[in-house]
Amino acid sequence: MKPDRSFEAALDDLLTSERMSRRRLLGRAGGAGLSLSGLSVLLSACGGVKGTDAGKTAPAASVSVNHPKTAIGDWTFSNWPLYIDKKVLKSFDKRYGGHVKYIEDINDNFEFFGKVRQQLQAGQSIGRDIVVLTDYMAARWIRDGFVEPIDRRNVPNAKNIVDNLATINYDPKRQYTLPWESGAIGLGYNIKKTGRELRSVKDLFDPKFKGKVTMLAEPYDSANTVLLGDGVDASKATLDQILGAIDKIDKANAAGQFRRFTGNDYTTDLAKGNVWVSLAYSGDLVQLQSDNPDLRFAYPEEGAMLFTDNMMMPKHLAHPYAAETMMNYVYDPAIQAKIALYVNYIPPVKGVQELVRKQDPKLAANPLVFPSDAVRAQLHPYPALSAADERKMQEAMSQVTGA
Amino acid sequence: MLRLSLRRRRSLLPWVFLGPGLLWLVAFFAIPLINQINVSLQTGDADTGYTFNWAFSTYTTAISDYHEQFVRSIGYAATATVLDFVIAFPLAYFVAYKAGRYKNAMLLLIVLPFFMSFLLRTVAWQLILADNGWVVSRLRDVGVLGSGDRLLASRTAVIAGITYNFLPFMALPLYVSLEKIDRRLIEAATDLYANRVTAFLRVTLPLAVPGIFAGSLLTFIPACGDFINAALLGTPRQFMIGNVIQAKFLNILDYPTAAALSFILMTFILVGIFLYARLLGSRALREAAL
Repeated sequence: MKPDRSFEAALDDLLTSERMSRRRLLGRAGGAGLSLSGLSVLLSACGGVKGTDAGKTAPAASVSVNHPKTAIGDWTFSNWPLYIDKKVLKSFDKRYGGHVKYIEDINDNFEFFGKVRQQLQAGQSIGRDIVVLTDYMAARWIRDGFVEPIDRRNVPNAKNIVDNLATINYDPKRQYTLPWESGAIGLGYNIKKTGRELRSVKDLFDPKFKGKVTMLAEPYDSANTVLLGDGVDASKATLDQILGAIDKIDKANAAGQFRRFTGNDYTTDLAKGNVWVSLAYSGDLVQLQSDNPDLRFAYPEEGAMLFTDNMMMPKHLAHPYAAETMMNYVYDPAIQAKIALYVNYIPPVKGVQELVRKQDPKLAANPLVFPSDAVRAQLHPYPALSAADERKMQEAMSQVTGA
Repeated sequence: MLRLSLRRRRSLLPWVFLGPGLLWLVAFFAIPLINQINVSLQTGDADTGYTFNWAFSTYTTAISDYHEQFVRSIGYAATATVLDFVIAFPLAYFVAYKAGRYKNAMLLLIVLPFFMSFLLRTVAWQLILADNGWVVSRLRDVGVLGSGDRLLASRTAVIAGITYNFLPFMALPLYVSLEKIDRRLIEAATDLYANRVTAFLRVTLPLAVPGIFAGSLLTFIPACGDFINAALLGTPRQFMIGNVIQAKFLNILDYPTAAALSFILMTFILVGIFLYARLLGSRALREAAL
């Protein structure tokens, strides 16, 4: 920010850039997130938080499911803010009839889970037909039996799924989940400040950048990235390895290396030059770069963590056929191309890049949206942790971030 | 229409007037509070659910784990309250006694920030205090800050943010109590050979105590539980108890600890107010309530 710029211009800028950051505006993780929409959670959680054992069966290796064709009707789709081109919803309604009520009420995986947890555990419908949640939360829902299997006969387009996402550790046959969009966690930096290109996770710990680095508060993102930097396959990481990585982050933090632990609010610090290097989400950088060409994103050479947000049908939903029809619709490369043009995350559908090239050759050439096969092979999904291990990891990280 | 004796009606009347308020308090304060106590005594986790079993240990662990954030909250809130008083008293005094026909305009200026969201006002401070911003550059020019120092993401920024955001809560009660003071009392003091300083200290200030009491409570209590300023202008090293409660509740889904921490905070504030009221005298409190 140039010092002579007017405050209004700067504020305007900030508000636009926040809006353009697509989602997770209020933070994706831990103590860094600001959740003002949490009031409803407060109220719902006050109503006695006793759990029940409903729906506690572990998912079988293979499930049979039959969702017969019916009219689409009025159904509900919950997603993160700014995560779809709304024209896609209109064209869906037009083509299949019925009406999709699209609500952007997912700002944080844990917060959203807190909001609907009681109903899920009591075996009730949560009034939504599709929800979009990140891998680790999707894994938790499957583990707890909160997800309705997908009738793949209604989703023939699912065959277009990209190879590296066709299977995932918590849902090997993709019986419950279909990826919505993915993103990589890597190095966001300002080349003017760092004076050199960054390539390695180790650059986050470079003493030259002391106090000018932000770290993600979510341990799934930060600890696993640190593990990749140490040559560990983070997708198969054990709790001990993760705790070791958190310890490493702790030591660097105690030495003053990190300015802040963040959700995706690092974007402001990075854009305004308050920090030089951020552990960052690829999709955010696509946006930030369009405002400031000095900002770069690098997939670390040791490999990068890949997060995927997944469409799933919550148990006891009312409109499984409508939900599956929508899943099928967005797996049509032509429709997925429209979404890709709008959201700038990595699409999970084959054949999209060619379609995007016709409309926006620059975007089609952007490795942050369409990574090369070599990069794709270096993208690691999150490790599958047990509920207890996950909690231990979160607790250890919250000791470090101070929340 | 029900026919009741006059006396009956008279005895019912207070309840009719109190009814809406009482219902409100029961529904939105008493019941949630009981629930909160209930939740704070449960154990379990988000996956298996929580069950009630008189788990008082949650309270002891909460205190031993988070006493640092408690102390910090109280320290930051107290500092901000004192700063607010130092800033707001001359301001309120000026508006009450010297502003003349600009009085209403000045009151409007004090209230004006409320027309904008609390969150946005705090985000604006992120820009004002940015490392490459005007303020930091000028402070560097005059040597207050070294080239590597920063304002944003520091304790100074958090306390400054709280001070800024709660200033009107201090200024307005002070203004009201100063405005109410009968000027003839001050005249009388000067007639009795008090100089202006003595008149201020012996007459104006004691009469302003209800405003000071109300203003400092209205500032200190919300500042204690605030988490926006620490989250936006600070780092985890500046996190206050509100940040912990928020994270425990919304992100970690550890409801018992969140409920216990809130309860501890509430108890602390109540006891604090009680002691403070005793300190200032119950008469001042009664007048403040009026």
